Amino acid sequence: MMTQVANRLLVSIPVLFGVLLLGFFLLILVPGDPAIVLAGPMATPEIVDAIRADMGLDRPVLIQFASYLGRVLQGDLGRSLISNKTVVSELAAAIGPTAELMLACLIWSIPLGIAMGTLAAVHRGRLIDRIIMAISVAGVSLPIFFICLILIQLVGVHWQLLPFIGRGGPLWTLEGLRHVALPALSLGAIFIGPVARMTRSSVLEVLKLDHVRTARAKGLSERRVILRHGLRNALIPVVTLVGLQAGYLLGGAVVTESIFSYPGLGRLAVGAILSSDFPLAQGAILILALAFILINMIVDILYALLDPRVQA
Amino acid sequence: MKILLATGAMLLGAGLAQAQEITIVREVDSNNYDPHKTTSRAASEVLFMIGDTLVSLAPDMLTVEPGLAESWEVSEDGTLYTFKLREDVQFCDGKPMTAEDVVYSVERWIDPDTSSPVAWRAGDVESVTATDDYTVEYKLSAPFSELLYQLTQSFGTIVDQANVEALGDDFGVTGFNGTGPFCWVEWTPRDKMIIERHDAYTWGAPFHDNQGPASMERITWQIVPEENTRTVAVLTGQSEISQYVPYIALEQLKGAPNVEVVQSDLAFWTYFMGFKIDKETVSDPAVRRAINLAVNQEAMAEDLFFGVVQPAYSYVSQEALDWDASLDDTLLKFDPEEANRILDEAGWARGDDGVRAKDGVRLAPTAYVFAGSGWAKLSEAVQAYLREIGVDMQIQAFDATVAWGKLATQEFDMFGMSYPYVSSGDALNLYFRSENMPTPNRMNWNDARTDELLLAGATAITDETRADSYAQVLKIVHDAALWLPLYHEPMVIAQSTELETVTPHNIYGAGLYKGLDLKFAE
Repeated sequence: MMTQVANRLLVSIPVLFGVLLLGFFLLILVPGDPAIVLAGPMATPEIVDAIRADMGLDRPVLIQFASYLGRVLQGDLGRSLISNKTVVSELAAAIGPTAELMLACLIWSIPLGIAMGTLAAVHRGRLIDRIIMAISVAGVSLPIFFICLILIQLVGVHWQLLPFIGRGGPLWTLEGLRHVALPALSLGAIFIGPVARMTRSSVLEVLKLDHVRTARAKGLSERRVILRHGLRNALIPVVTLVGLQAGYLLGGAVVTESIFSYPGLGRLAVGAILSSDFPLAQGAILILALAFILINMIVDILYALLDPRVQA
Repeated sequence: MKILLATGAMLLGAGLAQAQEITIVREVDSNNYDPHKTTSRAASEVLFMIGDTLVSLAPDMLTVEPGLAESWEVSEDGTLYTFKLREDVQFCDGKPMTAEDVVYSVERWIDPDTSSPVAWRAGDVESVTATDDYTVEYKLSAPFSELLYQLTQSFGTIVDQANVEALGDDFGVTGFNGTGPFCWVEWTPRDKMIIERHDAYTWGAPFHDNQGPASMERITWQIVPEENTRTVAVLTGQSEISQYVPYIALEQLKGAPNVEVVQSDLAFWTYFMGFKIDKETVSDPAVRRAINLAVNQEAMAEDLFFGVVQPAYSYVSQEALDWDASLDDTLLKFDPEEANRILDEAGWARGDDGVRAKDGVRLAPTAYVFAGSGWAKLSEAVQAYLREIGVDMQIQAFDATVAWGKLATQEFDMFGMSYPYVSSGDALNLYFRSENMPTPNRMNWNDARTDELLLAGATAITDETRADSYAQVLKIVHDAALWLPLYHEPMVIAQSTELETVTPHNIYGAGLYKGLDLKFAE
C-alpha cells in the first residue's frame, strides 16, 4: 500500500513538470500583454515599455521560464502582477472556499446519486426507475449555468430563502452554510446524474452474479442482499467515476463560482487568465493539476480498500 | 422583573435598529488601489471614498469647489497655484494632514520611478513646495488650464508618506491611509473591498448635503461578474445599490416596488468609432462623412440600449465644459440619401455585389473592436447601416487583454472605443495631439493647427481663450469627420428604496463619488 502511494508520488513529479511547462508556454503564446493592461488605455508606448521592463517581460522566454522554475522549486510562485500579493497567499485564500464548495456538493450528491441508482436498479423497468433515470438525464444534459440561474431565480429571488452572492464565512457557521447552499446544490445537480446511472448499471451487473444468488439462497433478506452483497461490490466503478467526475466538478466550479461570485480557485483562475496575470494563472493551473493528481491518488487508495484484489 | 423587561426591550430594539451597512455590487475589481498606479474606474470608485483631493468637482461636472484646499489663487501668468489647506484634516490613523503630505503626493505622482500612467494629468510641474504647514505652492513650467479639473480626479488623491514607505509594493494592496470619509479595512482581490466610516471626517465639499461624517458605518464593494446576478441582487436587497445593472433589466428594476432607478445625463463617457485617416479607403473625407451620415444613432440608442443612452453626434458631450453650442447645427445626422450622393460624387461606384469601389479599391474598411456583447451589438448595427450605402465594413473583435495591443498597431482602418473625460479640453488633448500617435491618437491625426490650438487651450490663462481655442479644435476635428460618434453613456444607478435617493456623480464614471450621501431613509 505504502509503496503504491510512493510510486504514485514519484510518477506525479514529471506530470507536474509538464504542467509547469505547458502552463507557462500556453500563457506566453496567448496574445495579450499584461504591461498594456496595467498601463491602461491612455498610456504612451514609453510607459508601457517601462512597466514591461519592471515586470521582467522583456527578457527572453527561456530565461523567464528558467527563473520561474527555479523560484517554484523553492516554493516561491511569485507575486500577482495585478494585486502584487504573493501568489501563494492568493491561492491559499481561494483553496479553502473551493474545498468547502466541493465538500458541500459531494456530501449530498454522492449519497443521493447512489441511493437513486440503487433504487432504480432494484425497481428496474418500473415507473420509479423511469423517473429516476429521467432526472439523471436532465442533470447530465442541463448546462450548469442554467441550473445556477434557475436556482437563483426560484430560491434566491422568488422565495428569497437563500443568499446567492459571495461567501458568508467558514462552512461550520450558519452564514457560511447559507451562502454555500445554492452553489453546492447547482454543482451537485450535475453530479447526481452520472453517479445514479453508473450505480444503477453496476448494481444490475452485480445482482446477476453468483454470490448474490448464493446470498439469496441462504435466505438473507433482500435488503441485506442488496446493501451488503450487491452495493458494496457495485461501488467500485462508481468510485472511479466520482474520481473522474471530480475533474468536471472543478470545471463546473469555475462557472458556479463566477455566477455566485464565490471567491474560490475556479474564479481565481479565470480572473487571472482574463487579466493576463501570468504568475497567478500559472499558480492556479499548478494547484488545479495537483488537485487532479491528489484526487486520482485517493481514488486508487479507495479502490484498494474496496477491492482487496487490487492490492495484490 | 422590570429591569429584565427593560433589558429585553432594549436588546430587541437594538436588534431591530438597522445596521448602517450596505453592499455595493460591481462588475470588475481594480488591479490595485494606489492612486498613482492604476487607471481603472474600479479603483477611482473606492479611492474617492477613502481619500481626498485638493479640490472637488460638483455634480454639475463644471464647478470646481474646495476639497482639502479651502481656497486657492492662480497667478496672472497661470503658472503658480497657491493652495490654502484646511487645518482640521486628519488621516484615518489620526495623524493631521499638512502641506508636506500634499508636496509628497504630487512629487510621487510625477516621479519617473513611480512610472505612473497618469503623470501627465499633473501638468508640467516645475516644483511643489510647502511655504508653511497649510500652504502649498504648485509651480508649473507652462500654464495648464485643465489643472484644477485634473486635481479633482482620484489620481490627485493625497497619500501619507509614512504609509507609502512602510507598505512599499503593498501600498494600495494591503492598506491605504487616506483622509476620505471612509477608511480601508480589507481588500480581497476579485472578491470584495471593505471600508468603514472615518468618524473624524467633517471636511466634505460644500456641495454635499452631508459634509461628514458619513452616515454609513461600513461599505462592502462586492465583485459580481455576472450581470443577471447583480440585477437580482439589487432586486432582492442583497445589494442596496449598484451602477452596474444591464440596460435590459432597467424596466424590470423600475417596476420593482423596492428599487428606485436614478439617472444623470451629465455623463461624460462617450462611445465612438475612429478612422485611421492615412488608410486607403477612410483617408477620403467623403467616405468618413458618408459613414457618419449613414448611421442612425437614435434608432441604435432605442433598439440596442432601450432608449437609456443618449445618441451621440458630437465627440464630447454637448454638456461638457467648453463644448461650443454653435456647432450643434453642423453635426452630421442620419441622412442615407446624402451619404449615397456624397459617395457617388466622390467617385465610389457600386459594384455588382452592391459594394462600392474606386480605382480597383473596394470600400471595405476593417474595424477592430472589443469582444463582448456591447461592441458586438454596436459594430454589427453600424455594419448593417454601412451596407446600405455600399460600404462593407469588416469587424474583428479582440478580447480586452489583447485589444489594447492590437489597437496600438497600424493594421486597422476603423476602431471602436469608449472613454471618460472631465471636459472638452481633457478629451481633445488626449486624442488629437500629434504627439499622442499611435495611441491614443489612433487616427494618426497629425495637424499643426490642431496642435497649436490645443497648446493654446491648455496653456490659456483666461476661460475665454481656453474655450475659444477648444471651440476651434472641435470645429476642425468634427469637420474632418475623424470619428463616428455613437452614444453618450448616462450614469444609471439602481438603488434600494430603503436608501435616500442619491445624486449620481459622473467623475471618471464613479457614480457614488464620496459616498457621503449614502443614507438609509428614516
